[in-house]
Amino acid sequence: MSQANDAGYVFEGVPLEPVSEGTNILVTGPSLGGLRQLLLGLLAGPSEEGILLVAADVSATEAVGDFKAIGGNVDPSRMCLIDCAQDSSESESEQIHGVATPADLTGIGMSFSQLYEQLHASGTARVRTGLYTLGPLLMYADDIRPVYRFLHTVTGRIQSVDGLGVCAVDPAAQDERTIKSVAQTFDGQVELRERDGTHQIRSHGLSGQPDGWHSVDINGTARSHQ
Amino acid sequence: MVDSHPTVVSVDGDPDEQAATVDALSAAGFEVIQETTVSGATSALSSEIDCVVTATTLPDGTGFDVLERVRAAYADCPVVLFGEASPADVPADSQSHIVEYLPRSIPGVRERLVSLIKDATMGGYQVAYPVPEDEQARLEALAAYDVTDFTTAETFDRLTKLVVSHFDIDKAFVGLVDEHEERFVACEGADWQTVAREDTICTHTILEHEVMVVEDLTEDPRFASNDQLRELDVRSYAGAQLTTPGGQTIGALCCLDSETRSYTTEECQDLQLFADEAMEQLELRRRLNERLPQETA
Repeated sequence: MSQANDAGYVFEGVPLEPVSEGTNILVTGPSLGGLRQLLLGLLAGPSEEGILLVAADVSATEAVGDFKAIGGNVDPSRMCLIDCAQDSSESESEQIHGVATPADLTGIGMSFSQLYEQLHASGTARVRTGLYTLGPLLMYADDIRPVYRFLHTVTGRIQSVDGLGVCAVDPAAQDERTIKSVAQTFDGQVELRERDGTHQIRSHGLSGQPDGWHSVDINGTARSHQ
Repeated sequence: MVDSHPTVVSVDGDPDEQAATVDALSAAGFEVIQETTVSGATSALSSEIDCVVTATTLPDGTGFDVLERVRAAYADCPVVLFGEASPADVPADSQSHIVEYLPRSIPGVRERLVSLIKDATMGGYQVAYPVPEDEQARLEALAAYDVTDFTTAETFDRLTKLVVSHFDIDKAFVGLVDEHEERFVACEGADWQTVAREDTICTHTILEHEVMVVEDLTEDPRFASNDQLRELDVRSYAGAQLTTPGGQTIGALCCLDSETRSYTTEECQDLQLFADEAMEQLELRRRLNERLPQETA
């Protein structure tokens, strides 16, 4: 077992202590205020770890571009994406699965399982899964109950395989009561805000984390892994 | 509650694959019911089951057909689609077919299946509602207040009648939120026994720390698409938690009305007092229940 395994999932460049395997985190903050970069920064781990990103607000191509922009190392053998954009068929490959719409929660869930197993079979034991963002899934759902079922299934799977799950949502774009109840599915939350031109984060519900707000350079969160 | 030997229904038309799955599950301590078809799986749902594993293709249908039948019988039961499938195989109504999926081609797949089912049968794996963090402890606390053996109905009937009169509403009830359903200890204005937990408002109320008010269910995304509530003619809701002396919230005392309605701070305080009274009655009966066997002995 590597040191990284012993230490759980490590976040270089983000003021968070490592979290244990099987942890699911909800990241909340403004979509236009660094939420995407923070989520991608939390997904950027050591080179032996895999990444599985569900891109619901952006295309797979954009997500990869953004990951590179924050200093992330894109290794196709350990990075898989699920593109929920309706015109995603152009970019589909073994590493990129497309589903027709963010409303297709079953399709997203099945692609997640398939890609996860693909990463695992290729020797990637530890996988960080990201969902950017939960907003379209809530918006496209006729009823919120299937979204709860989807989140329980995916977070349960992540817990079962000792993975890390990070799901982003902009609370300003959603009903407050919905976000509060959806947050129940996760082990803890990381909040992002902008103050005086800097980005700050704080965590709730995750053990061993620093109290209060801490500054973070969201545009370079992945560079520390290189 | 978590069963020490959960029962898994394995549905597979291929005898060799079925035998391999059954061997792996039995060796891991699961009780296994074997079925080969959708209709067979449907019959097996009359038993108490904890999980269903189904092949994607069956002689008389698909794994999604099995899923539909499981959801109708046991809304919370985890289902694993075990085989080769693609998102293109998902029925058009994708949101009703959320399922755990395990491709059969991966190395060591049955070891993975066993591990997955162990986690899935721990509770809350595929449910369509938020679950409290300490759900297991909450359910254990609730079990101590099982009032089915008591002649409690009159006490709570009087209480809910008073609540209806006090707030001038259609219905009031005392509900206990159990693992898969809400059980009504008393209900004034309707004759309800149980409602599936995913259809209840109280499963959200037990997550709160104060009286939960929904002035208009049609304006709240958590309930706006809940047909069951619409069929029960519920438009507004206020619920106060029933919290045990140990701090576990086991249910709620609630007001319902077919019209939109707001509740003042004073009304919320009154509702909480009614709920505290209901909880005290439950607590008295729990203590009586503890003493009775000793006295009988």
